[in-house]
Amino acid sequence: MKRTRKDSAGDKAGQNHVPSRRQSRRELLIKTGGLLAAGAFGAVPLRGWAADPVNIGALYPTTGSMAQIGVGCVAAAKLAVEMVNDAGGIKSLGGAKLNLIISDVQSDTTVTRTETDRLITGNKLSAIHGCYASALTLIASEVAERAKVPLITGSSSDQLNKGRTYTFTPFARASQFARAQLQMSKLVSDTPKVAVIFENTAFGTSTSNGLKELAPAEGVEIVMFEPYSAGFTDASPLVNKVKSSGANALFSVSYLNDLILIVRTVKQFGLNVSINGGSGGFVIPDFYKNVGKLAEGLQGVAHWNHDVSDDAQKVNTEFKKRTGEFLFEYAGGLVAQTFLLADALERAGSADPQKVREALSTLDVSSGYAAMAPGGKVKFGPDGKNIYGHPVGVQWQDGDLASVFPKEDARKPLLKI
Amino acid sequence: MMTHGLSTRSVVLLAIGIAVLVALPLLVKSSFAIDIFIRILLFSFIGAAWNLMGGYAKQLSLGHAAYFGLGAYTSTILQIDFNISPWIGMIAGGVVAMLASLPIGWLCFRLRGPYFTIATIATAQALMLIFLKFRDFAWGAEGTTIPNLGSAPLMMQFETKAAYYYVALGLLAVALIITWLIERSWIGYYLVAIGEDEDAAEAIGVNAPRMKRDIYMISAFLTALAGTFYTQYIYFIDPATAFSFNISIEAALVSIVGGIGTLWGPVIGTILLETTSTLLQSWLGSSIGGVQLTVYALILMAVILWRPTGLMGMIDEARHRFAASKPAQA
Amino acid sequence: MWETVAQAVINGLLIGGIYALVSIGVTLIFGVVKIVNFAQGEFVMIGMYISFFLANQFGIDPLLSLFVSMPVLFVIGVLIQHFLIRRVLGPNDMPQIFLTFALSLLLLNLALMLFTANYRTVHTSYSDEALHVGGLYIPVAKLIAFVVAMALSGALWVFLHTTDLGKAMRAAAQNRDVAMLMGINPNRVFCVALGIALALAGAAGSLLMPFYSAYPFVGQVFVLMAFVAVVLGTLGNVIGALIASLMMGIAESLGVQYVGADSGLIVVFAMLLLTLAFKPTGLGGGRAR
Repeated sequence: MKRTRKDSAGDKAGQNHVPSRRQSRRELLIKTGGLLAAGAFGAVPLRGWAADPVNIGALYPTTGSMAQIGVGCVAAAKLAVEMVNDAGGIKSLGGAKLNLIISDVQSDTTVTRTETDRLITGNKLSAIHGCYASALTLIASEVAERAKVPLITGSSSDQLNKGRTYTFTPFARASQFARAQLQMSKLVSDTPKVAVIFENTAFGTSTSNGLKELAPAEGVEIVMFEPYSAGFTDASPLVNKVKSSGANALFSVSYLNDLILIVRTVKQFGLNVSINGGSGGFVIPDFYKNVGKLAEGLQGVAHWNHDVSDDAQKVNTEFKKRTGEFLFEYAGGLVAQTFLLADALERAGSADPQKVREALSTLDVSSGYAAMAPGGKVKFGPDGKNIYGHPVGVQWQDGDLASVFPKEDARKPLLKI
Repeated sequence: MMTHGLSTRSVVLLAIGIAVLVALPLLVKSSFAIDIFIRILLFSFIGAAWNLMGGYAKQLSLGHAAYFGLGAYTSTILQIDFNISPWIGMIAGGVVAMLASLPIGWLCFRLRGPYFTIATIATAQALMLIFLKFRDFAWGAEGTTIPNLGSAPLMMQFETKAAYYYVALGLLAVALIITWLIERSWIGYYLVAIGEDEDAAEAIGVNAPRMKRDIYMISAFLTALAGTFYTQYIYFIDPATAFSFNISIEAALVSIVGGIGTLWGPVIGTILLETTSTLLQSWLGSSIGGVQLTVYALILMAVILWRPTGLMGMIDEARHRFAASKPAQA
Repeated sequence: MWETVAQAVINGLLIGGIYALVSIGVTLIFGVVKIVNFAQGEFVMIGMYISFFLANQFGIDPLLSLFVSMPVLFVIGVLIQHFLIRRVLGPNDMPQIFLTFALSLLLLNLALMLFTANYRTVHTSYSDEALHVGGLYIPVAKLIAFVVAMALSGALWVFLHTTDLGKAMRAAAQNRDVAMLMGINPNRVFCVALGIALALAGAAGSLLMPFYSAYPFVGQVFVLMAFVAVVLGTLGNVIGALIASLMMGIAESLGVQYVGADSGLIVVFAMLLLTLAFKPTGLGGGRAR
């Protein structure tokens, strides 16, 4: 029975009060029951502090199948807010601090829907960021759009820019990843014959569609184009199919567990293909932890990498100190997003979400932590896309991810394996 | 498991209950709380639909998500492709589900016991796989969002949560009335007979295959209505959500915990499980994954090991004990 | 072309061995105790985590850890039968179904709580190696898993047909009341059945570790295939489950190759539904009820 489970507990919005162990269970029950009842009647604000700070909502899957990434994202979100606050907060609002309100979306679409709603209606939010997986972000953006709260996200699905005015995407879109992947394949071989395999939800489908459309123009031949259902028992049939297609390059648009299996199976079969793991599960530390040396030399694309600028390296160092791992793509991106929100708040001079949206739509930065993006510039077009947004090609080198493509963004040379 | 007749006391209690339920969204301001109520109403409804077949006739299906999903997709396709109101789409979805229950029933009812359960699981999974693969008529794995129409009651979109609450309340009322009517009629007797011993029931003249088929159709129809509502509420549909095994589980779970084969069982079970879930979320914070479901599992195990009749069983027992002790007090 | 087919068949066969270990456990429990163990996948998961722990902390090769995971899971099986399952055995199968289901939920989420959702991988010297035979690749770790799986299945068959306890189990499976009249203690037999079934699941876990990563949900992926195999091979029929598992592995592999990578599961389900439609008792023969 393939089941997706709703796991665990979400963070009660804003409640930073931890019951002391000395309280008897009865007291706790009464207190919680009372709080819930009071909260239900709207009598008691379920947060415990003054109205001065600016509330930013953060929706990430800290439990469920995407938990590893979600946890890292939350750590980065907290770091980012600290950085903004330590630098003086929002000066045009009298030094108001950013208050991060985190919610766990449990890697589940339904929970995303209710949690986004709960976050928005339970707090005066000025903006939201989240949710990592495109499928989840799509839902959150629907809710945010109807509630007229701006959502800023690194999720790559092109659908996020369609028919919305409250969603902002500072980083590369799925279709752009596709072009980058195709161009990178030409760096490794003159006549790339590519097998494309992708997981069949929003993430895999949008990226791979981009690949299919752009390949002819880029002079790349796609010899296999195959969706698969994530979470298989064995990658051998898939890899066998890749082998029989005669491909010399493999593009795999996958989440982490499948990626691990695919890479290991390719090695088992002695298949000589250059692997470009795209984004997703490929560009996180856990990939290297599980695949080890096999990862060396594998290429991918990312919408953000920690060597994109000196500012990024600074944040990376701090993040490493806190979590023990390098700052991965999505997490680093959301640090930049927090600063983008701060910039918008400064210019809006108000915590009102609609004014923040206005300010975001006129945003134009090219320096500072807000501009930590490939290319170093962020400016939003009418569809919420960053007109300068483009991905970087990355490669695993010595257990770390180095940006290797395009030339302007390359920080290290591409290693040919 | 017959309820008492319509005694005056019951009617008064019922009237008070209904009044409270109707007034609730007006008294309670918190959107979060209304969301919980909607969830409780909706899952009580799904549980009650399941209960007709799984509780009374003891046909333990763990594949009701199949109908939930069919209902959801039917109304969504009709809405997005043909601009037909989801109110109509909801009924259409119910009909589709009813029709689907015929071949599925034919297949699954040939088996008994755990075979039957496994077969139902397989059919729901198979439907999910089909909808994942075929993107031409139903958006494939990506799913789709419901277009934002703002306030459009005729298209089942409301700006206030309270409206969704009333729809869910209405659905639950329908399911409970149907259950009550069935329970008190010969259909109810026959279903219980089939549930207790199908062979014996057939021996005394009950047309078991036909009754199973009919109750399955009703159960499927109702479950499909829930699918439409749910999609309209969360603005989104995709195969994993619509045919989610979780929904099949929840449908059965709330009935078992609350009292399988009873009128109020699914409602009580849902209230217990949803409240537990919410309390857990507020007690424990977000750092530990898996706690909530661990507790659910423990509750379920406890019920199965010590009170297989569910909470209703406990309430009935308590009531009998109370009634039995009364004469002694006089 | 034949090379591709042959490779696909081999791939399917090898993974089918793992399915077999899981499905034999399920079918054994059903045959003897007459309940469906929905939690079988979680015991595979436990086996994997045991092996991971031993490999990570003490550097013990997962294959050696079989000698730990199997006995540990045997004991767990006995305990579960004695304290939990025994209480719900009766004419009504609702409690039985939901008990093992609840157990599955419990174990899965306990694992999530204790180990988090992170993937745990073990790299051995042979993890990524493969034998070249002709143009075919046979991954070493999977081959070992297959061989051991077949050996264990064979050992089980011998046990069931030659030892007194094994025969007692088969007797209890065929007719519990008569078996009791003959002096066979059903609970004891059930304990052994659960123990063996879970030990096999644990073995599957240990055998998987060299080439598959452990995480709390890992059991779910395998248990689905196992269940289909059990029904296909007729509930209660050990050889049936074995053969069905191998067949399914091959069908899935060929399905991916020739129908589509997202269709492997569809092919398997189609097999299941067709069988249920036309031969509900499964291909192994025997009674449906």
